[in-house]
Amino acid sequence: MRRPAIVAVALVAVVLVTAWWLTSPQRMAADSLPAHTPDVAAGEQVFWVGGCASCHASPVDGRRAKGEDKLRLGGGLELDTPFGVFRVPNISPHADGIGGWSTLDFVNAMQAGVSPNGRHYYPSFPYTSYAKMRVEDVIDLKAFIDTLPAVEGLVADHSLGFPWSVRRGIGLWKRRYLDTGFVMADMDSEQLERGRELVEGAGHCGECHTPRDGFGGLLADQWLVGAPNPDGAGRVPNITPGGKAVGDWSVSDIAYYLESGFTPDFDTVGGSMVAVQENLAKLPKSDLDSIAAYLKSLPAR
Amino acid sequence: MSGPTLRTLFLAATLAFSAHAIADDDPRIERQDLMKSVREAAKPVGQMMRGDMDFDADTLMSSLETWLDVSTKFGGLFPPGSESGEETEAAPAIWTDREGFDKALAEWQTATQAAIDAKPASLEEARPIVGPVFNTCKGCHDNYRIEEE
Repeated sequence: MRRPAIVAVALVAVVLVTAWWLTSPQRMAADSLPAHTPDVAAGEQVFWVGGCASCHASPVDGRRAKGEDKLRLGGGLELDTPFGVFRVPNISPHADGIGGWSTLDFVNAMQAGVSPNGRHYYPSFPYTSYAKMRVEDVIDLKAFIDTLPAVEGLVADHSLGFPWSVRRGIGLWKRRYLDTGFVMADMDSEQLERGRELVEGAGHCGECHTPRDGFGGLLADQWLVGAPNPDGAGRVPNITPGGKAVGDWSVSDIAYYLESGFTPDFDTVGGSMVAVQENLAKLPKSDLDSIAAYLKSLPAR
Repeated sequence: MSGPTLRTLFLAATLAFSAHAIADDDPRIERQDLMKSVREAAKPVGQMMRGDMDFDADTLMSSLETWLDVSTKFGGLFPPGSESGEETEAAPAIWTDREGFDKALAEWQTATQAAIDAKPASLEEARPIVGPVFNTCKGCHDNYRIEEE
């Protein structure tokens, strides 16, 4: 009688230790950071590509922030998703936000999805895309955010259903889905490489335009083919050359749409894409051309 | 002209007229038709801005006149009862935030009038003047148009 009991206890212990190890937050080491002098102006470009303001700028009178208010990153927006309600945190340079964070803390948050006190972030914060960024760009971004207004106010935690509410479980999720490699392996030109970096990395286009599996991981074999709207009704369109809405747009059509918000038919950009377009309009024309060229290079699906 | 042809013509004309009359009676259809005319007027202007078409001051002016005309009529086409149906993309905010909607329309009208008064004679002159008009399209759609799929 005794022996099986001991074996059972030992088994449970092994399982627990393994689970603990498998789910533990993996941080980057301080010596993995490159020697890099932060460039605030470059960081501002990264800020707009990354769309930080679209989620983190505090809503004004219940509406999306516009103009200068996009630089007040107090959070507070609620994302109503099938997993539950995510509440967007304060990332302004205030003690209630990321004030006092080290560069390493910031890089770990952006690229490993781990907070300074060692907790996993939920991937509603698109670090699975940001993990593909150049770390120098991330360092520049922090330098820019540090110049923005400090906004007071802690935002309440997310309200998620079980099992999503078990934060530790994200460790397993990351083992499956957090990957620093690019989705599209081979790019033929510097322009396409730049486009890939913008679309797959900071721009995190795939987070809305690519469908997810049941655990919320992006389906790489259906890259950018369109997906249900993650936060509301309707669908986010297929933006590969096979897409119904944009498949026949030229590189110049796509670049002009991102710059001006007008489709080739002179309809205007709509829905969640309005904020994205307003951000991307702040990029140099060459970057918009790179995004467009990358999208046109995708397999038509 | 033979009898049947005349009769066909008459019938066609009557049908066309009554279809038009019905459409005119329905503010939902009328505002959609007006928006279509706004979009048609935007096409050549946008092509000029993109450099896909040579600058033409007359075409630009004619588009601006169309927009100014519509911007003055448009606000009157949202009576109670026209909130839904006929595939309307009018957002409920038009009725719940009428003041904001009127302000958005006024911004469109002001920007358009300013562009007309400026009489741009070249693409370089037109760009900074047309840009603000285009932005009012987006600004109003963002708040007062529903995104259908």
